[in-house]
This record gives sequence, structure tokens and C-alpha cells, in this order.
Amino acid sequence: MSTYQLYPDTSKGPVSCVKRTDNDGSIWCIPFSEDNTDYKKYLEWVAEGNKPKAADKTD
Amino acid sequence: MSLIKVKSRGTDNVGGRRNIIINGAMQLAQRGTSSTANGYGSVDRFQILAGGADEAPTHAQVDVASGTTPYGLGFRKALKLTNGNQTSGAGAADYMGIWQHIEGQNISQSGWNTTDPNSKLTLSYWVKSSVAQTFYGRFRAFASSQYEYTYSFALSANTWTKVTTTVPGNSNFSSLVNTNAVGFYHVWQCFWGTDYTNNKTLGEWAVKDNANKSPDMTSTWYTTNDATFEITGVQLEVGDAATDFSHRTFAEELSLCQRYFYKVEGASSDRVGIGGYVVGASEARMDVVFPCAMRAAPTISGTGTAQFDGHADSADFNCSAIIIDEVPTGIVSGLGIQIATSGMTNGHSGGLRFRGSGGTLSFTAEL
Repeated sequence: MSTYQLYPDTSKGPVSCVKRTDNDGSIWCIPFSEDNTDYKKYLEWVAEGNKPKAADKTD
Repeated sequence: MSLIKVKSRGTDNVGGRRNIIINGAMQLAQRGTSSTANGYGSVDRFQILAGGADEAPTHAQVDVASGTTPYGLGFRKALKLTNGNQTSGAGAADYMGIWQHIEGQNISQSGWNTTDPNSKLTLSYWVKSSVAQTFYGRFRAFASSQYEYTYSFALSANTWTKVTTTVPGNSNFSSLVNTNAVGFYHVWQCFWGTDYTNNKTLGEWAVKDNANKSPDMTSTWYTTNDATFEITGVQLEVGDAATDFSHRTFAEELSLCQRYFYKVEGASSDRVGIGGYVVGASEARMDVVFPCAMRAAPTISGTGTAQFDGHADSADFNCSAIIIDEVPTGIVSGLGIQIATSGMTNGHSGGLRFRGSGGTLSFTAEL
């Protein structure tokens, strides 16, 4: 099962992507773009009542 | 007066880009030549999905043996699916197959008159199974409803066989997707369990029925440990007959594949053409220019380590920590990425340099 986590803000502010970590440890940065099939799957996962993990805290 | 004879489409051999399938000769395997990933992982544009499997199947780009008919026709690579060991047998909810998804605008603007039953698409390919069995292939068209068309093909064990099937247009296809979203696919049903099969009528378009995608399937192939299923020379073309496979150069096929998957890789100290600048000493922003506009804003992933190579080099960072800086809109010809690291000087320019073997950045915009 993949897990999702938000990214910390950058100097520009909030970022428009979400991190997915797969069972094999691979990490994917998914853009908030409705044409992106990974983002569509993320939206479906959220629609099922799931929530991504909060972003790691930065200094 | 001299006469110039013009070849008619679908009745004679027309050169050029008649093959709607991308990578039909299995030349490209940018992600790797062997994978157990459930999805894309080996041969470009071909997706392997399995549900309920006790052991994940392996999919690989393999050589076509010399002396075989496909080899004689110029095919040197095939996609090979090895089914693994399905110790609990053929479950009702199990499935295993090979897909190629096609962009809606590529099918809607292929020259096929989608709404005319007299206008045809023809699919042809070479296929070999280690187990003699009847298999099914299935098309899906994405219109206001989704429609499916299923056909069968029987294979003898370990024998390359050419399969050809022709599908008609349909009056319900006026709303067939005509964008960069999926509009059409073909799947080779290596096995589908009885949750998905029943008494499907072959050879006609019908609204998708998830409980009746094909007639019930023989499970011999699926339950034979490490049974294999290979395909190559896949061609989908407008017309009512299969023509000779339209071979493309490696570079042509790579360019077509890069609309959906682009990979940058390098060894230690390699610079790969990704330049940028430093913001505030701890954040580097870089621009990736794609060799071909991608279908959509891509998902990115990375392996290995890199640094921002500038007047003051950054500390090494994991490529998997690179994130998207700006999500592009419109034609996706490039992507802004960024990384948080240390040791840089605000305002300096530089670029990405891999710091170990096996450094990669992958950009995925698959269907």
C-alpha cells in the first residue's frame, strides 16, 4: 500500500505536489495537475476518506 | 499525359505513421529490461497489471530468437510476461494482463471514422505462449459511456502466431475522447477470473460490463508455474486489413515514448543539462527541458545522489528529495524543480551533477 505525505512549504510558500512512497521504498512527487493519472488516483484516495500525512517539520 | 497512382488507405500498403500503437516492436525499455512492478516497469508504453496474484509476474524486454518468423520480419525484441507461481490457483477475482492505453486525440484523429460501422481499425501482432490455450483480447473505447469489444485467439504451445482482428466504428462514438486523456485501449487477457467473465458475445461493441468482459477463461496458463506469454510487432491501423508492420527507427520510437516517460541518468560527476540558480543559500531551483512535450505535468522520481554544482557546490542530496517547483500549464515542454540543500551561495547559478553511479531522474506522464 502506498502512503501519501504533504511537502513542507518552500520560500515560495505551499508547493503544488504531494509525496507518494511505495512498498518498495520508491518516492514519487506528484503534481497537482488533473491530467496526471497519479494525481487522479490520489484524489480518488482522498475521496475515500483518507488524508495524507502532515509535512515533515523544517527549521 | 503521365498518371500518378495514389494508394488508397486500408487497401494497400501506405507508408509513414500508420501504426497508432507506440513501441509496438518493443524496442524501448527506458525503465529497465525486467520488472515485477504492477504497472509500467519494463517495455515502454506497455502496462502489466495483476490482481490477486500469489506471486507477482515478471515482465521483461527479451530478444526474439533468430530463425523464427518474427525475427525474419525484422523484430529483435519482444515483451515477455512470466506469470509466477500462483499457489492458490485461479481465484475468481484474479486477473493478469498487458495493456496499451492510447491518447484520445491519437485515436479520434487517426483517420478512423469512429461513428461509421463501415470504417475499421485493424490490430495485428505476433504472440507466443508456453501453454496451449485460447486467450482473449479486448478493446475499450472511452466515449460518454465506455464500450468494449472482445475477441479470441487460440495458441499452440511455444509457437509464434500472428493474430489479426478488425473492429468497426460505432454510432455511439461521436463523443469518443479527443483530448490528451485516455480514449482507447487494448488488453491481452492472459487470465481473468470468473468475477469478471461470463458469456460475453465476441466480435461486437457493447457497454462495458465489469462482470462480463469475456467468456469464462481456461486457467491452464495462469496455474502453470512460470508460464510465459510474449508479444511483438503490435500494430493498430486504420483500415480493414493488416498491412506489413511499419518499422520505426529507435530515435523515432524513443521520441514517441518520451511524451509519456522521460528518464535522465548519469554516472558520478555527470552533468545532464539541468541548469538553475540558488535562492537563499539552501534552495536550488532548476529547469528541466523535455526533448518532447509531455502528455501532462509529470510525476517525478529519482535515485542516487546529486549536488547543485555551482560557484559553491551544495551538499549531496538524494535525487528522490527533488520536488516540483512549478506545475506547468498548457503544452508541457519543461518543468521547474527544486531541492533544499546547504552550502550554496544565494544568487549563484549552476546545475545538477550526479554524485554516484546509478543517478536518475524520471518523469512520468503515462495514461
